[in-house]
Amino acid sequence: MAHDGQDRTLADEAILPGLTGLTAAALDPAGAILETARTRVRDQVIDGDRVSAALVEARQTATHGLAWLATYVESLRQMQGWAERLEAEGCFGEVEQLLLQIAFGEYLWQIYGGIQMNQGEVVRLQDLGLSQDEMRDLMTPEVTTLCERGNTQEARLRLVALMQERSAETTVGRTGLGEELDMIRDQFRRYAADRIEPHAHDWHLKDELIPMEVIEELSEMGVFGLTIPEEYGGLGMPKASMCVVSEELSRGYIGVGSLGTRSEIAAELVLAGGTDDQKAHWLPRLASGEVLPTAVFTEPNTGSDLGSLRTKARKDDNGDWILNGNKTWITHAARTHVMTVLARSVEGTDNYKGLSMFLAEKTPGTDEKPFVDPGISGGEIEVLGYRGMKEYTVNFDDFRVKGGNLLGQEEGHGFKQLMETFESARIQTAARAIGVGQSALDVSMRYAQDRKQFGKPLIAFPRVASKLAMMAVELMVARQLTYHSASEKDAGRRCDLEAGMAKLLGARVAWAAADNGLQIHGGNGFALEYTISRILCDARILNIFEGAAEIQAQVIARRLLG
Amino acid sequence: MGEPLGKILVPVKRVIDYNVKVRVKADGSGVDLANVKMSMNPFDEIAVEEAIRLKEAGKAEKVIAVSIGVKQAQETLRTALAMGADRAILVVASEDVHEDIEPLAVAKILKAVIDEEQPGLVIAGKQAIDNDMNATGQMLAALTGYAQATFANKLEIEGDAAVVTREVDGGLQTIKVSLPAIVTADLRLNEPRYASLPNIMKAKKKPLDEKTPADYGVDPAPRLQVIKTSEPETRQAGEMVGSVDELIAKLKEKGIV
Repeated sequence: MAHDGQDRTLADEAILPGLTGLTAAALDPAGAILETARTRVRDQVIDGDRVSAALVEARQTATHGLAWLATYVESLRQMQGWAERLEAEGCFGEVEQLLLQIAFGEYLWQIYGGIQMNQGEVVRLQDLGLSQDEMRDLMTPEVTTLCERGNTQEARLRLVALMQERSAETTVGRTGLGEELDMIRDQFRRYAADRIEPHAHDWHLKDELIPMEVIEELSEMGVFGLTIPEEYGGLGMPKASMCVVSEELSRGYIGVGSLGTRSEIAAELVLAGGTDDQKAHWLPRLASGEVLPTAVFTEPNTGSDLGSLRTKARKDDNGDWILNGNKTWITHAARTHVMTVLARSVEGTDNYKGLSMFLAEKTPGTDEKPFVDPGISGGEIEVLGYRGMKEYTVNFDDFRVKGGNLLGQEEGHGFKQLMETFESARIQTAARAIGVGQSALDVSMRYAQDRKQFGKPLIAFPRVASKLAMMAVELMVARQLTYHSASEKDAGRRCDLEAGMAKLLGARVAWAAADNGLQIHGGNGFALEYTISRILCDARILNIFEGAAEIQAQVIARRLLG
Repeated sequence: MGEPLGKILVPVKRVIDYNVKVRVKADGSGVDLANVKMSMNPFDEIAVEEAIRLKEAGKAEKVIAVSIGVKQAQETLRTALAMGADRAILVVASEDVHEDIEPLAVAKILKAVIDEEQPGLVIAGKQAIDNDMNATGQMLAALTGYAQATFANKLEIEGDAAVVTREVDGGLQTIKVSLPAIVTADLRLNEPRYASLPNIMKAKKKPLDEKTPADYGVDPAPRLQVIKTSEPETRQAGEMVGSVDELIAKLKEKGIV
């Protein structure tokens, strides 16, 4: 383009006429491409009349590509649903329209031309086994229009102009979650901006535990019992509220966002698998924050492949359980009161069927002396980011767990009990990713406005503004995918697929935001003193924990292929 | 009723959020409020906090928040309820978000609310951050004949009186006023709390009555006329001078010395 459009009124030209009609019409061809892809990939992994796990693995480019394609199509569906709901309420404004249009323009083009699983791996429809003709079926007139004129520089610059005008808004564009959740968001945004953000960078640089004072404040605000049922001392709120709180606390600092809502996941474990006595004992204590939990699953040689865990639990003469083995990557291990430990109690097994879940009580330690009880020891693992709770190795050497603390009083159900919490854990992690991504946008936006080069603020350069625009767009996509999985969970429907997609996309979005945010900061972003350097480190974990991106894609693909 | 104050009335105003970069409308008739984030006036938030603290300390029975303005002020009242106010009254005095209800009309409506509710104390923000009138509290004191203590930095209830430390030019002044009284909150009176999740949940079940100025026999039509609204003048760029002599010459040239 010869002219950069400065003489024209960008607002008039940026938004496509009949936008929501165009985007609605794009859903069918996108869905049809997904169906074709599913058939083509299924053909590659079928052995006899069954999908072969070995082939799903052997054909990972195709199967994981299918997972990503499905994630994109679902993203578009959720964005459309969001747009239509706002339109019906009469609040589908210019910002929201631009977000929708750019998201459709970008994601449809990527579906056609190649989806970025990450910066180094682009998966194309041909990798999934589609022919050129089949690919072209996507390009209906509406899809073509959105691809050609959806994600334009004009649209991105207009969005960023509006973002600057409306910098007081808590989110870029209305989330569509309603008044009550907006109030919750505003309160937690204010709390995080006042009480967390000013200290987070210091906690990170000094590698300090988040002060107990913050934990007490979170407890007073009701964070730990958010979705725990009221009869067990919680607030019985919907998962969407957990998303909003996780987002806003993680926007302040990922450690705080994680700490608050991790108790919920432990509570869910007890709620789903515990006996009545266990529920009555543990849930009110988790809800109040009086008991802080930590998850003890991973072992030095066992990460994603949990079925092969080796830590052993044996019953002694008093009916207590004795644990022996080595665990690692135990977050917040020192200061917590109870460990949910996955260990092998069924003799002679070597798969998930022999695993049981224990609610192992411990005495909280300190930074100087992390472990104080007999039979437990360990050390800190120094990490790049996601500090604030610290990571530890934990060794059990005849560590005693009370007989009554076998979850559900059933052996061999540990893996299944744990799996029941995966959906919520992924939804929560997706929300944490959105919070981290949003913080990258927050600090980069400020920097781009304040920093002047060549006589103007950085934000006046289209490449800088475009980065900020894409952060805002993808954050809204990740939000809608996450809120959708939360509402599925609340409705009591299976949502492992949706939650997995939200986590998969959210983590990529957060990393892209952090990386591009640092790029906007230039050399200063590379300096430890700038906040964005921490956000980059914090964002990096999101693609790894709670199901690495590759595992997530594998799980999604397995579900899609049946 | 052991509490000396009974009810505390707290007027709250929905104003442009303090983070918003305010823009003047092209026709100069006011500032642009379309699509702009609105929040509770920060001084009113402090007033709500103080009232809740008095209630928590057993000095008052109920906290009633009242807002006069557009229907959307409901959100502002919900925030007051989520902070801990017991009930709310919304007086819808305008349909247009750009119409500001003048202090005298607000004070008259508040006077009528006071006649109905008979609060032992009114705590208002010292001024609203949108037009900085700093008048409603004082006018309300005049209309009711109650004692007034403006710019409160500290508030204590002693029997049937309030001891108020006021922020005045050059320092602090402590006065004792008999109750009922009108107190207006200054910035350092307290630090407002964050609404907790349980209280946000409870807020939606608390009563919020909707009224009109006519219910109170008040005509909120404006008495003042806004002639022009304009952006503050931007600061001129400075000029570097090489010496004191040059500086004096420049100043003479500009007619300053």
